[in-house]
Amino acid sequence: MSGGAIAFMAISWGFVLSLVSWSYYRLLTNKKHHDPDGIGPASPPEPPSTKKR
Amino acid sequence: MSSSNSGSNEAWGSRIGLILAMAGNAVGLGNFLRFPRQAAANGGGSYMIAYFIALLLLGIPLMWIEWGIGRNGGRYRKGHLPGMFAAIWKHPAAKYFGVVGMVVPLGVMIYYTYIESWTLAFAIFSATKDYWGQTTQEGMIGYLRSFQGLAPEGGAVYHASYTPYAFFTVTLFVNIYVLSKGISGGIEKLAKIGMPILFLFAIVLAGVVLTLPAQPGIGATPAQGLEFIYTPDLSRLNQPGIWLAAAGQIFFTLSVGMGSLQAYASYLSTKDDIALNGLATASTNETVEVVLGGSIAIPAAVTFFGVAGAMQIAQGGSFDLGFATMPVVFQQIDKTLPIGNLLGVMWFGLLFFAGITSSVAMLTPVTAFFREEFGIQREKVAWSFGALAFVIGLMHVHWLGHGFLDEWDYWVGTFGLVLVAVLEVVIFVWIFKPENAWKSIHMGADIQIPKIFKFIMTYVTPLYLLIILTWWGKDEAIPILLNQRSAGSANPVSDVDMPFITISRGILVLMIIGFLFAIRMAWKRNGYDDRKGFVEIPSNRAGL
Repeated sequence: MSGGAIAFMAISWGFVLSLVSWSYYRLLTNKKHHDPDGIGPASPPEPPSTKKR
Repeated sequence: MSSSNSGSNEAWGSRIGLILAMAGNAVGLGNFLRFPRQAAANGGGSYMIAYFIALLLLGIPLMWIEWGIGRNGGRYRKGHLPGMFAAIWKHPAAKYFGVVGMVVPLGVMIYYTYIESWTLAFAIFSATKDYWGQTTQEGMIGYLRSFQGLAPEGGAVYHASYTPYAFFTVTLFVNIYVLSKGISGGIEKLAKIGMPILFLFAIVLAGVVLTLPAQPGIGATPAQGLEFIYTPDLSRLNQPGIWLAAAGQIFFTLSVGMGSLQAYASYLSTKDDIALNGLATASTNETVEVVLGGSIAIPAAVTFFGVAGAMQIAQGGSFDLGFATMPVVFQQIDKTLPIGNLLGVMWFGLLFFAGITSSVAMLTPVTAFFREEFGIQREKVAWSFGALAFVIGLMHVHWLGHGFLDEWDYWVGTFGLVLVAVLEVVIFVWIFKPENAWKSIHMGADIQIPKIFKFIMTYVTPLYLLIILTWWGKDEAIPILLNQRSAGSANPVSDVDMPFITISRGILVLMIIGFLFAIRMAWKRNGYDDRKGFVEIPSNRAGL
Protein backbone atom coordinates (compact mmCIF):
# COMPACT_ATOMS: atom_id res chain seq x y z
CA MET A 1 0.00 0.00 0.00
CA SER A 2 1.20 3.51 -0.73
CA GLY A 3 1.97 5.93 2.09
CA GLY A 4 -1.01 8.12 1.15
CA ALA A 5 -3.44 5.18 1.23
CA ILE A 6 -2.08 3.98 4.59
CA ALA A 7 -2.38 7.51 6.01
CA PHE A 8 -5.96 7.96 4.80
CA MET A 9 -6.98 4.52 6.00
CA ALA A 10 -5.35 5.07 9.40
CA ILE A 11 -7.04 8.46 9.82
CA SER A 12 -10.45 7.08 8.73
CA TRP A 13 -10.30 4.00 10.93
CA GLY A 14 -8.74 5.95 13.80
CA PHE A 15 -11.51 8.56 13.70
CA VAL A 16 -14.46 6.15 13.73
CA LEU A 17 -12.88 3.73 16.20
CA SER A 18 -12.00 6.56 18.61
CA LEU A 19 -15.52 7.96 18.34
CA VAL A 20 -17.22 4.62 18.94
CA SER A 21 -14.86 3.69 21.80
CA TRP A 22 -15.41 7.01 23.55
CA SER A 23 -19.19 6.80 23.07
CA TYR A 24 -19.45 3.29 24.49
CA TYR A 25 -17.03 4.08 27.32
CA ARG A 26 -19.32 6.94 28.34
CA LEU A 27 -22.41 4.76 27.93
CA LEU A 28 -21.06 1.87 29.95
CA THR A 29 -19.62 3.97 32.76
CA ASN A 30 -22.82 5.98 33.08
CA LYS A 31 -24.22 5.76 36.59
CA LYS A 32 -27.78 6.69 35.60
CA HIS A 33 -30.39 4.58 37.38
CA HIS A 34 -32.08 2.08 35.04
CA ASP A 35 -35.85 2.23 35.42
CA PRO A 36 -37.48 1.65 32.04
CA ASP A 37 -41.12 1.66 33.15
CA GLY A 38 -40.72 4.60 35.51
CA ILE A 39 -42.44 2.88 38.44
CA GLY A 40 -39.27 1.93 40.32
CA PRO A 41 -37.72 3.83 43.27
CA ALA A 42 -36.37 7.32 42.65
CA SER A 43 -32.80 6.20 43.31
CA PRO A 44 -30.97 2.91 42.80
CA PRO A 45 -31.18 0.50 45.72
CA GLU A 46 -28.12 0.41 47.94
CA PRO A 47 -25.94 -2.68 47.75
CA PRO A 48 -26.72 -5.09 50.65
CA SER A 49 -23.29 -4.68 52.24
CA THR A 50 -23.85 -0.98 52.94
CA LYS A 51 -27.31 -1.39 54.48
CA LYS A 52 -27.46 -0.57 58.17
CA ARG A 53 -29.32 -2.99 60.35
CA MET B 1 -58.28 19.81 24.10
CA SER B 2 -57.35 16.21 24.37
CA SER B 3 -54.52 14.10 23.20
CA SER B 4 -55.33 10.59 22.13
CA ASN B 5 -53.05 8.10 23.74
CA SER B 6 -54.90 4.90 23.23
CA GLY B 7 -52.73 2.09 24.36
CA SER B 8 -49.47 3.59 23.20
CA ASN B 9 -47.38 3.25 26.32
CA GLU B 10 -44.58 1.16 24.89
CA ALA B 11 -41.01 1.60 26.07
CA TRP B 12 -37.52 0.36 25.39
CA GLY B 13 -36.45 -2.42 27.75
CA SER B 14 -32.81 -1.40 28.07
CA ARG B 15 -30.41 1.27 26.92
CA ILE B 16 -28.23 -1.20 25.01
CA GLY B 17 -31.38 -2.53 23.33
CA LEU B 18 -32.24 1.00 22.25
CA ILE B 19 -28.73 1.65 20.89
CA LEU B 20 -28.68 -1.69 19.03
CA ALA B 21 -32.12 -1.05 17.53
CA MET B 22 -31.15 2.49 16.50
CA ALA B 23 -27.83 1.24 15.08
CA GLY B 24 -29.66 -1.65 13.41
CA ASN B 25 -31.98 0.88 11.83
CA ALA B 26 -28.98 2.82 10.50
CA VAL B 27 -26.80 -0.14 9.47
CA GLY B 28 -28.21 -1.45 6.22
CA LEU B 29 -27.26 -2.94 2.88
CA GLY B 30 -25.57 0.34 1.92
CA ASN B 31 -22.87 -0.09 4.58
CA PHE B 32 -21.51 -3.20 2.87
CA LEU B 33 -22.44 -2.63 -0.77
CA ARG B 34 -22.85 1.07 -1.51
CA PHE B 35 -20.07 2.59 0.62
CA PRO B 36 -17.04 0.65 -0.70
CA ARG B 37 -18.22 1.04 -4.29
CA GLN B 38 -18.76 4.77 -3.84
CA ALA B 39 -15.38 5.27 -2.16
CA ALA B 40 -13.56 3.37 -4.88
CA ALA B 41 -15.40 5.14 -7.70
CA ASN B 42 -15.03 8.67 -6.29
CA GLY B 43 -11.34 9.19 -5.71
CA GLY B 44 -10.67 7.00 -2.65
CA GLY B 45 -9.00 9.13 0.02
CA SER B 46 -10.46 12.34 -1.44
CA TYR B 47 -13.93 10.87 -1.09
CA MET B 48 -13.15 10.04 2.54
CA ILE B 49 -12.34 13.72 3.23
CA ALA B 50 -15.70 14.79 1.79
CA TYR B 51 -17.36 11.87 3.59
CA PHE B 52 -16.12 12.82 7.06
CA ILE B 53 -16.90 16.50 6.51
CA ALA B 54 -20.46 15.50 5.52
CA LEU B 55 -20.65 13.29 8.63
CA LEU B 56 -19.75 16.21 10.89
CA LEU B 57 -21.79 18.90 9.16
CA LEU B 58 -24.79 16.88 8.07
CA GLY B 59 -24.98 13.36 9.50
CA ILE B 60 -24.34 13.81 13.22
CA PRO B 61 -26.26 17.13 13.51
CA LEU B 62 -29.26 15.57 11.72
CA MET B 63 -29.02 12.55 14.00
CA TRP B 64 -29.34 14.81 17.07
CA ILE B 65 -32.11 16.85 15.43
CA GLU B 66 -34.12 13.69 14.64
CA TRP B 67 -33.67 12.25 18.14
CA GLY B 68 -34.71 15.66 19.49
CA ILE B 69 -37.84 15.86 17.31
CA GLY B 70 -38.78 12.29 18.20
CA ARG B 71 -38.24 12.60 21.93
CA ASN B 72 -40.15 15.91 21.95
CA GLY B 73 -43.02 14.22 20.09
CA GLY B 74 -42.98 11.45 22.69
CA ARG B 75 -43.87 14.01 25.39
CA TYR B 76 -47.27 14.24 23.71
CA ARG B 77 -47.26 10.57 22.74
CA LYS B 78 -46.71 11.32 19.07
CA GLY B 79 -44.57 8.71 17.32
CA HIS B 80 -45.20 10.11 13.84
CA LEU B 81 -43.98 13.22 12.01
CA PRO B 82 -47.41 14.89 11.54
CA GLY B 83 -47.81 14.93 15.32
CA MET B 84 -44.16 15.77 15.98
CA PHE B 85 -44.25 18.74 13.62
CA ALA B 86 -47.56 19.94 15.09
CA ALA B 87 -46.10 19.67 18.59
CA ILE B 88 -43.30 22.06 17.62
CA TRP B 89 -44.98 24.43 15.17
CA LYS B 90 -48.45 25.48 16.28
CA HIS B 91 -49.76 26.14 12.80
CA PRO B 92 -52.54 24.31 10.90
CA ALA B 93 -50.11 23.47 8.07
CA ALA B 94 -47.53 21.78 10.31
CA LYS B 95 -49.28 18.42 10.48
CA TYR B 96 -49.68 18.22 6.70
CA PHE B 97 -45.95 18.72 6.14
CA GLY B 98 -45.52 15.59 8.25
CA VAL B 99 -47.11 13.51 5.48
CA VAL B 100 -43.64 13.04 3.97
CA GLY B 101 -42.64 11.29 7.20
CA MET B 102 -45.34 8.69 6.53
CA VAL B 103 -45.02 8.17 2.77
CA VAL B 104 -41.21 8.01 2.72
CA PRO B 105 -40.70 5.24 5.32
CA LEU B 106 -43.67 3.18 4.09
CA GLY B 107 -42.55 3.55 0.46
CA VAL B 108 -38.93 2.67 1.18
CA MET B 109 -39.97 -0.25 3.39
CA ILE B 110 -41.93 -1.88 0.57
CA TYR B 111 -39.17 -2.04 -2.02
CA TYR B 112 -36.37 -2.41 0.54
CA THR B 113 -38.05 -5.57 1.87
CA TYR B 114 -38.04 -6.93 -1.66
CA ILE B 115 -34.28 -6.29 -2.01
CA GLU B 116 -33.81 -7.77 1.47
CA SER B 117 -35.55 -10.92 0.21
CA TRP B 118 -32.73 -11.39 -2.33
CA THR B 119 -30.26 -11.67 0.56
CA LEU B 120 -32.39 -14.34 2.25
CA ALA B 121 -32.65 -16.23 -1.03
CA PHE B 122 -28.91 -16.04 -1.71
CA ALA B 123 -28.09 -17.13 1.86
CA ILE B 124 -30.12 -20.29 1.15
CA PHE B 125 -28.63 -20.66 -2.35
CA SER B 126 -25.18 -20.45 -0.70
CA ALA B 127 -26.04 -23.10 1.90
CA THR B 128 -27.31 -25.45 -0.80
CA LYS B 129 -24.53 -24.49 -3.25
CA ASP B 130 -27.26 -23.71 -5.77
CA TYR B 131 -25.11 -21.28 -7.74
CA TRP B 132 -21.98 -23.44 -7.50
CA GLY B 133 -20.54 -23.79 -10.98
CA GLN B 134 -21.20 -20.17 -11.98
CA THR B 135 -17.55 -19.24 -11.57
CA THR B 136 -17.44 -16.12 -13.71
CA GLN B 137 -18.86 -12.65 -13.12
CA GLU B 138 -20.97 -12.97 -16.28
CA GLY B 139 -22.26 -16.38 -15.21
CA MET B 140 -23.31 -15.08 -11.77
CA ILE B 141 -24.93 -11.97 -13.27
CA GLY B 142 -26.97 -14.34 -15.47
CA TYR B 143 -27.90 -16.34 -12.35
CA LEU B 144 -28.94 -13.16 -10.50
CA ARG B 145 -31.02 -11.91 -13.45
CA SER B 146 -32.70 -15.32 -13.65
CA PHE B 147 -33.65 -15.07 -9.97
CA GLN B 148 -34.98 -11.54 -10.51
CA GLY B 149 -37.03 -12.74 -13.47
CA LEU B 150 -34.93 -10.63 -15.84
CA ALA B 151 -33.25 -13.38 -17.84
CA PRO B 152 -33.05 -12.31 -21.50
CA GLU B 153 -35.09 -14.26 -24.01
CA GLY B 154 -33.29 -17.49 -24.77
CA GLY B 155 -30.96 -16.96 -21.77
CA ALA B 156 -30.35 -19.58 -19.09
CA VAL B 157 -33.11 -19.88 -16.47
CA TYR B 158 -32.09 -21.29 -13.08
CA HIS B 159 -35.17 -20.57 -10.99
CA ALA B 160 -38.89 -21.21 -11.12
CA SER B 161 -40.79 -18.01 -11.89
CA TYR B 162 -42.45 -17.99 -8.44
CA THR B 163 -39.09 -18.02 -6.55
CA PRO B 164 -38.67 -14.22 -6.04
CA TYR B 165 -42.35 -13.92 -5.06
CA ALA B 166 -41.96 -16.69 -2.48
CA PHE B 167 -38.87 -15.12 -0.88
CA PHE B 168 -40.48 -11.68 -0.85
CA THR B 169 -43.56 -13.12 0.88
CA VAL B 170 -41.48 -14.87 3.56
CA THR B 171 -39.30 -11.79 4.18
CA LEU B 172 -42.29 -9.47 4.45
CA PHE B 173 -44.03 -11.90 6.81
CA VAL B 174 -41.00 -11.97 9.14
CA ASN B 175 -40.84 -8.16 9.09
CA ILE B 176 -44.51 -7.73 9.93
CA TYR B 177 -44.38 -10.44 12.60
CA VAL B 178 -41.49 -8.67 14.38
CA LEU B 179 -43.23 -5.31 14.09
CA SER B 180 -46.49 -6.72 15.43
CA LYS B 181 -44.68 -7.79 18.61
CA GLY B 182 -43.95 -4.17 19.51
CA ILE B 183 -40.95 -2.16 20.56
CA SER B 184 -39.36 -4.20 23.35
CA GLY B 185 -41.02 -7.52 22.45
CA GLY B 186 -40.19 -7.44 18.73
CA ILE B 187 -37.85 -4.74 17.46
CA GLU B 188 -35.53 -4.68 20.48
CA LYS B 189 -35.31 -8.48 20.60
CA LEU B 190 -34.50 -8.62 16.88
CA ALA B 191 -31.75 -6.01 17.33
CA LYS B 192 -30.27 -7.88 20.30
CA ILE B 193 -30.06 -11.06 18.22
CA GLY B 194 -29.39 -9.62 14.77
CA MET B 195 -26.74 -7.02 15.52
CA PRO B 196 -24.26 -9.31 17.35
CA ILE B 197 -24.67 -11.88 14.54
CA LEU B 198 -24.08 -9.15 11.96
CA PHE B 199 -20.91 -8.02 13.77
CA LEU B 200 -19.66 -11.58 14.14
CA PHE B 201 -20.23 -12.45 10.46
CA ALA B 202 -18.68 -9.17 9.29
CA ILE B 203 -15.57 -9.60 11.46
CA VAL B 204 -15.07 -13.21 10.29
CA LEU B 205 -15.54 -12.26 6.63
CA ALA B 206 -13.21 -9.25 6.90
CA GLY B 207 -10.63 -11.48 8.61
CA VAL B 208 -10.85 -14.13 5.88
CA VAL B 209 -10.75 -11.59 3.03
CA LEU B 210 -7.87 -9.50 4.41
CA THR B 211 -5.68 -12.59 4.91
CA LEU B 212 -6.24 -14.01 1.42
CA PRO B 213 -3.04 -14.76 -0.49
CA ALA B 214 -2.39 -13.28 -3.94
CA GLN B 215 -4.12 -15.42 -6.57
CA PRO B 216 -2.15 -17.12 -9.32
CA GLY B 217 -2.48 -15.27 -12.60
CA ILE B 218 -3.93 -12.16 -10.90
CA GLY B 219 -1.18 -11.21 -8.49
CA ALA B 220 -3.29 -8.69 -6.57
CA THR B 221 -3.65 -8.78 -2.78
CA PRO B 222 -6.41 -7.60 -0.41
CA ALA B 223 -4.06 -4.77 0.63
CA GLN B 224 -4.28 -3.49 -2.92
CA GLY B 225 -8.05 -3.53 -2.50
CA LEU B 226 -7.72 -1.27 0.55
CA GLU B 227 -5.29 0.87 -1.43
CA PHE B 228 -7.89 1.06 -4.21
CA ILE B 229 -10.41 2.48 -1.69
CA TYR B 230 -8.10 4.81 0.23
CA THR B 231 -5.47 6.17 -2.22
CA PRO B 232 -6.14 9.91 -2.27
CA ASP B 233 -6.76 11.58 -5.61
CA LEU B 234 -6.72 15.13 -4.27
CA SER B 235 -7.27 16.64 -7.70
CA ARG B 236 -10.87 15.43 -7.51
CA LEU B 237 -11.68 17.44 -4.38
CA ASN B 238 -12.70 20.40 -6.54
CA GLN B 239 -15.37 18.32 -8.27
CA PRO B 240 -18.84 18.96 -6.78
CA GLY B 241 -19.83 15.38 -7.66
CA ILE B 242 -17.60 13.94 -4.91
CA TRP B 243 -19.12 16.20 -2.25
CA LEU B 244 -22.65 15.34 -3.35
CA ALA B 245 -21.86 11.62 -3.48
CA ALA B 246 -20.37 11.73 0.01
CA ALA B 247 -23.30 13.74 1.39
CA GLY B 248 -25.73 11.29 -0.23
CA GLN B 249 -23.95 8.32 1.30
CA ILE B 250 -23.99 9.90 4.77
CA PHE B 251 -27.70 10.48 4.33
CA PHE B 252 -28.48 6.90 3.31
CA THR B 253 -26.15 5.20 5.76
CA LEU B 254 -27.44 6.96 8.88
CA SER B 255 -31.10 6.48 7.87
CA VAL B 256 -31.80 10.15 8.47
CA GLY B 257 -34.80 11.71 6.74
CA MET B 258 -36.72 8.46 7.08
CA GLY B 259 -39.05 9.13 10.03
CA SER B 260 -38.02 5.93 11.78
CA LEU B 261 -35.30 7.35 14.10
CA GLN B 262 -37.85 9.90 15.31
CA ALA B 263 -40.43 7.17 15.92
CA TYR B 264 -37.93 5.14 17.96
CA ALA B 265 -36.87 8.23 19.93
CA SER B 266 -40.51 9.03 20.77
CA TYR B 267 -40.43 6.06 23.17
CA LEU B 268 -37.98 7.97 25.39
CA SER B 269 -38.71 10.47 28.14
CA THR B 270 -37.12 13.85 28.78
CA LYS B 271 -35.09 12.20 31.54
CA ASP B 272 -33.42 10.02 28.94
CA ASP B 273 -30.22 10.98 27.20
CA ILE B 274 -30.33 11.51 23.46
CA ALA B 275 -27.04 13.38 22.92
CA LEU B 276 -24.77 10.44 23.76
CA ASN B 277 -27.21 7.84 22.43
CA GLY B 278 -27.35 9.65 19.08
CA LEU B 279 -23.58 9.86 18.88
CA ALA B 280 -23.19 6.18 19.84
CA THR B 281 -25.67 5.20 17.12
CA ALA B 282 -23.87 7.25 14.47
CA SER B 283 -20.43 6.01 15.50
CA THR B 284 -21.58 2.36 15.55
CA ASN B 285 -22.90 2.75 12.04
CA GLU B 286 -19.69 4.45 10.88
CA THR B 287 -17.54 1.69 12.37
CA VAL B 288 -19.57 -0.96 10.57
CA GLU B 289 -19.38 1.01 7.34
CA VAL B 290 -15.80 2.28 7.26
CA VAL B 291 -13.93 -0.47 9.10
CA LEU B 292 -15.97 -3.57 8.19
CA GLY B 293 -17.87 -2.51 5.06
CA GLY B 294 -14.69 -1.27 3.40
CA SER B 295 -12.77 -4.46 4.23
CA ILE B 296 -14.90 -7.10 2.53
CA ALA B 297 -16.36 -6.63 -0.96
CA ILE B 298 -13.78 -4.41 -2.69
CA PRO B 299 -10.63 -6.10 -1.26
CA ALA B 300 -12.15 -9.48 -2.23
CA ALA B 301 -12.98 -8.26 -5.74
CA VAL B 302 -9.47 -6.83 -6.22
CA THR B 303 -7.85 -10.07 -5.02
CA PHE B 304 -9.74 -12.25 -7.50
CA PHE B 305 -10.32 -9.86 -10.41
CA GLY B 306 -7.36 -7.46 -10.15
CA VAL B 307 -7.59 -3.69 -9.76
CA ALA B 308 -8.84 -3.10 -13.32
CA GLY B 309 -11.46 -5.86 -12.98
CA ALA B 310 -12.64 -4.54 -9.62
CA MET B 311 -12.93 -1.03 -11.07
CA GLN B 312 -15.13 -2.39 -13.85
CA ILE B 313 -17.24 -4.29 -11.30
CA ALA B 314 -17.57 -1.17 -9.11
CA GLN B 315 -18.92 0.74 -12.09
CA GLY B 316 -21.48 -2.02 -12.67
CA GLY B 317 -23.32 -1.18 -9.45
CA SER B 318 -23.62 -2.28 -5.84
CA PHE B 319 -25.92 -5.23 -6.47
CA ASP B 320 -23.64 -6.85 -9.05
CA LEU B 321 -20.78 -6.45 -6.57
CA GLY B 322 -22.72 -8.10 -3.74
CA PHE B 323 -24.78 -10.70 -5.54
CA ALA B 324 -22.54 -11.68 -8.46
CA THR B 325 -18.92 -10.90 -7.56
CA MET B 326 -19.01 -12.17 -3.99
CA PRO B 327 -20.47 -15.61 -4.88
CA VAL B 328 -17.67 -16.00 -7.45
CA VAL B 329 -15.17 -15.07 -4.73
CA PHE B 330 -16.63 -17.65 -2.31
CA GLN B 331 -16.36 -20.38 -4.95
CA GLN B 332 -12.73 -19.43 -5.56
CA ILE B 333 -11.94 -19.48 -1.83
CA ASP B 334 -13.65 -22.87 -1.59
CA LYS B 335 -10.95 -24.40 -3.81
CA THR B 336 -8.32 -23.96 -1.09
CA LEU B 337 -10.44 -23.47 2.03
CA PRO B 338 -13.58 -25.66 1.83
CA ILE B 339 -15.88 -23.24 3.64
CA GLY B 340 -16.91 -21.21 0.59
CA ASN B 341 -20.62 -21.89 1.03
CA LEU B 342 -20.42 -21.09 4.75
CA LEU B 343 -18.82 -17.74 3.87
CA GLY B 344 -21.66 -17.20 1.40
CA VAL B 345 -24.22 -17.87 4.14
CA MET B 346 -22.39 -15.42 6.41
CA TRP B 347 -22.19 -12.71 3.73
CA PHE B 348 -25.84 -12.89 2.71
CA GLY B 349 -26.84 -13.55 6.33
CA LEU B 350 -25.18 -10.35 7.48
CA LEU B 351 -26.84 -8.45 4.63
CA PHE B 352 -30.19 -9.94 5.66
CA PHE B 353 -29.78 -8.86 9.29
CA ALA B 354 -28.53 -5.43 8.16
CA GLY B 355 -31.65 -5.17 6.00
CA ILE B 356 -34.30 -6.45 8.39
CA THR B 357 -33.16 -4.33 11.35
CA SER B 358 -33.68 -1.33 9.05
CA SER B 359 -36.93 -2.36 7.37
CA VAL B 360 -38.82 -3.12 10.60
CA ALA B 361 -38.06 0.44 11.70
CA MET B 362 -39.60 1.91 8.56
CA LEU B 363 -43.15 0.85 9.32
CA THR B 364 -42.96 2.13 12.92
CA PRO B 365 -44.14 5.72 12.16
CA VAL B 366 -47.25 4.45 10.32
CA THR B 367 -48.02 1.94 13.07
CA ALA B 368 -47.60 4.66 15.70
CA PHE B 369 -49.92 7.03 13.80
CA PHE B 370 -52.85 4.62 13.60
CA ARG B 371 -52.38 3.35 17.14
CA GLU B 372 -52.06 6.75 18.73
CA GLU B 373 -54.62 8.66 16.68
CA PHE B 374 -57.27 6.02 15.95
CA GLY B 375 -56.73 3.61 18.84
CA ILE B 376 -56.24 0.65 16.51
CA GLN B 377 -54.26 -2.24 17.97
CA ARG B 378 -50.62 -2.51 16.92
CA GLU B 379 -51.07 -6.01 15.50
CA LYS B 380 -54.03 -4.92 13.37
CA VAL B 381 -52.16 -1.92 11.95
CA ALA B 382 -49.03 -3.97 11.30
CA TRP B 383 -50.84 -6.76 9.47
CA SER B 384 -53.09 -4.35 7.53
CA PHE B 385 -50.14 -2.36 6.25
CA GLY B 386 -48.32 -5.65 5.73
CA ALA B 387 -51.12 -6.63 3.34
CA LEU B 388 -50.82 -3.30 1.53
CA ALA B 389 -47.03 -3.70 1.34
CA PHE B 390 -47.55 -7.19 -0.05
CA VAL B 391 -49.80 -6.02 -2.89
CA ILE B 392 -47.54 -3.11 -3.88
CA GLY B 393 -44.45 -5.26 -3.31
CA LEU B 394 -45.73 -7.79 -5.84
CA MET B 395 -45.77 -4.99 -8.42
CA HIS B 396 -42.12 -4.24 -7.58
CA VAL B 397 -41.24 -7.91 -8.05
CA HIS B 398 -43.25 -8.26 -11.25
CA TRP B 399 -42.23 -5.01 -12.92
CA LEU B 400 -38.62 -4.76 -11.74
CA GLY B 401 -37.38 -4.71 -15.32
CA HIS B 402 -39.68 -1.80 -16.20
CA GLY B 403 -38.13 0.70 -13.78
CA PHE B 404 -40.97 0.47 -11.23
CA LEU B 405 -38.57 0.04 -8.30
CA ASP B 406 -36.07 2.62 -9.62
CA GLU B 407 -38.84 5.20 -9.72
CA TRP B 408 -39.69 4.64 -6.05
CA ASP B 409 -36.04 4.43 -5.09
CA TYR B 410 -35.53 7.91 -6.50
CA TRP B 411 -38.68 9.70 -5.27
CA VAL B 412 -38.97 8.23 -1.77
CA GLY B 413 -35.54 6.69 -1.19
CA THR B 414 -33.43 9.60 -2.44
CA PHE B 415 -35.29 12.87 -3.00
CA GLY B 416 -37.83 12.20 -0.24
CA LEU B 417 -35.13 11.75 2.40
CA VAL B 418 -33.61 15.16 1.70
CA LEU B 419 -37.05 16.75 1.65
CA VAL B 420 -37.88 15.29 5.09
CA ALA B 421 -34.53 16.51 6.44
CA VAL B 422 -35.04 20.05 5.10
CA LEU B 423 -38.49 20.24 6.72
CA GLU B 424 -37.13 18.89 10.00
CA VAL B 425 -34.31 21.40 10.21
CA VAL B 426 -36.56 24.33 9.31
CA ILE B 427 -39.25 23.32 11.82
CA PHE B 428 -37.06 22.09 14.70
CA VAL B 429 -34.20 24.58 14.48
CA TRP B 430 -35.61 27.68 12.82
CA ILE B 431 -39.30 27.73 13.82
CA PHE B 432 -38.81 26.13 17.26
CA LYS B 433 -35.76 28.47 17.60
CA PRO B 434 -32.15 27.29 17.93
CA GLU B 435 -32.14 27.97 21.70
CA ASN B 436 -35.13 25.70 22.30
CA ALA B 437 -33.81 23.01 19.98
CA TRP B 438 -30.44 23.06 21.75
CA LYS B 439 -32.10 22.93 25.17
CA SER B 440 -34.41 20.11 24.04
CA ILE B 441 -31.51 17.98 22.78
CA HIS B 442 -29.68 18.49 26.09
CA MET B 443 -32.58 17.42 28.35
CA GLY B 444 -31.32 14.45 30.35
CA ALA B 445 -28.10 14.48 28.34
CA ASP B 446 -25.08 12.51 29.51
CA ILE B 447 -22.72 14.72 27.49
CA GLN B 448 -22.50 18.38 26.59
CA ILE B 449 -22.41 18.72 22.81
CA PRO B 450 -19.71 21.21 21.71
CA LYS B 451 -21.32 24.63 21.15
CA ILE B 452 -20.02 24.80 17.58
CA PHE B 453 -22.71 22.25 16.64
CA LYS B 454 -25.41 24.76 17.55
CA PHE B 455 -24.03 27.04 14.84
CA ILE B 456 -23.69 24.08 12.45
CA MET B 457 -27.30 22.97 13.03
CA THR B 458 -28.62 26.50 12.62
CA TYR B 459 -26.76 27.58 9.51
CA VAL B 460 -24.44 24.99 7.97
CA THR B 461 -26.71 21.89 7.93
CA PRO B 462 -29.68 23.73 6.36
CA LEU B 463 -27.41 25.33 3.75
CA TYR B 464 -25.81 21.98 2.96
CA LEU B 465 -29.27 20.40 2.60
CA LEU B 466 -30.55 23.19 0.38
CA ILE B 467 -27.53 22.81 -1.91
CA ILE B 468 -28.15 19.05 -2.19
CA LEU B 469 -31.89 19.55 -2.78
CA THR B 470 -31.29 22.22 -5.42
CA TRP B 471 -28.56 20.25 -7.16
CA TRP B 472 -30.49 17.00 -7.20
CA GLY B 473 -33.64 18.87 -8.22
CA LYS B 474 -31.91 20.49 -11.18
CA ASP B 475 -29.87 17.48 -12.29
CA GLU B 476 -32.24 14.65 -11.50
CA ALA B 477 -35.74 15.42 -10.16
CA ILE B 478 -36.87 17.73 -12.98
CA PRO B 479 -35.44 15.62 -15.84
CA ILE B 480 -36.95 12.46 -14.30
CA LEU B 481 -40.32 14.14 -13.77
CA LEU B 482 -40.32 15.35 -17.38
CA ASN B 483 -39.30 11.84 -18.53
CA GLN B 484 -36.13 13.23 -20.13
CA ARG B 485 -34.30 10.46 -18.31
CA SER B 486 -35.32 7.43 -16.27
CA ALA B 487 -34.75 7.16 -12.52
CA GLY B 488 -32.50 4.12 -12.95
CA SER B 489 -30.27 5.34 -15.78
CA ALA B 490 -29.39 8.35 -17.91
CA ASN B 491 -31.50 6.99 -20.79
CA PRO B 492 -34.99 8.35 -21.46
CA VAL B 493 -37.98 6.23 -20.40
CA SER B 494 -38.96 3.85 -23.20
CA ASP B 495 -42.52 3.66 -24.51
CA VAL B 496 -42.77 0.11 -23.17
CA ASP B 497 -41.85 1.21 -19.63
CA MET B 498 -43.94 4.39 -19.59
CA PRO B 499 -47.21 2.80 -18.34
CA PHE B 500 -45.37 1.14 -15.45
CA ILE B 501 -43.66 4.40 -14.49
CA THR B 502 -47.06 6.14 -14.56
CA ILE B 503 -48.60 3.46 -12.29
CA SER B 504 -45.58 3.72 -9.98
CA ARG B 505 -45.99 7.49 -9.63
CA GLY B 506 -49.77 7.18 -9.39
CA ILE B 507 -49.52 4.89 -6.36
CA LEU B 508 -47.17 7.34 -4.64
CA VAL B 509 -49.58 10.20 -5.27
CA LEU B 510 -52.47 8.09 -3.93
CA MET B 511 -50.43 7.31 -0.82
CA ILE B 512 -49.81 11.03 -0.24
CA ILE B 513 -53.51 11.86 -0.69
CA GLY B 514 -54.54 8.95 1.54
CA PHE B 515 -52.25 9.99 4.38
CA LEU B 516 -53.27 13.67 4.09
CA PHE B 517 -56.87 12.55 4.45
CA ALA B 518 -56.00 10.31 7.42
CA ILE B 519 -54.15 13.18 9.14
CA ARG B 520 -57.18 15.47 8.69
CA MET B 521 -59.48 12.76 10.05
CA ALA B 522 -57.21 12.14 13.05
CA TRP B 523 -57.14 15.81 14.02
CA LYS B 524 -60.91 16.10 13.70
CA ARG B 525 -61.54 12.86 15.57
CA ASN B 526 -59.35 13.83 18.51
CA GLY B 527 -60.41 17.50 18.56
CA TYR B 528 -56.88 18.86 18.33
CA ASP B 529 -56.51 22.63 18.27
CA ASP B 530 -53.60 23.47 15.98
CA ARG B 531 -52.95 26.82 17.69
CA LYS B 532 -52.92 25.44 21.24
CA GLY B 533 -50.88 22.31 20.68
CA PHE B 534 -51.15 19.00 22.50
CA VAL B 535 -51.45 18.21 26.17
CA GLU B 536 -48.24 16.78 27.59
CA ILE B 537 -48.67 13.21 28.78
CA PRO B 538 -46.94 12.35 32.06
CA SER B 539 -44.23 9.96 31.06
CA ASN B 540 -43.80 6.47 32.34
CA ARG B 541 -40.82 5.98 30.07
CA ALA B 542 -37.99 7.10 32.28
CA GLY B 543 -34.48 6.22 33.15
CA LEU B 544 -32.81 4.55 30.15
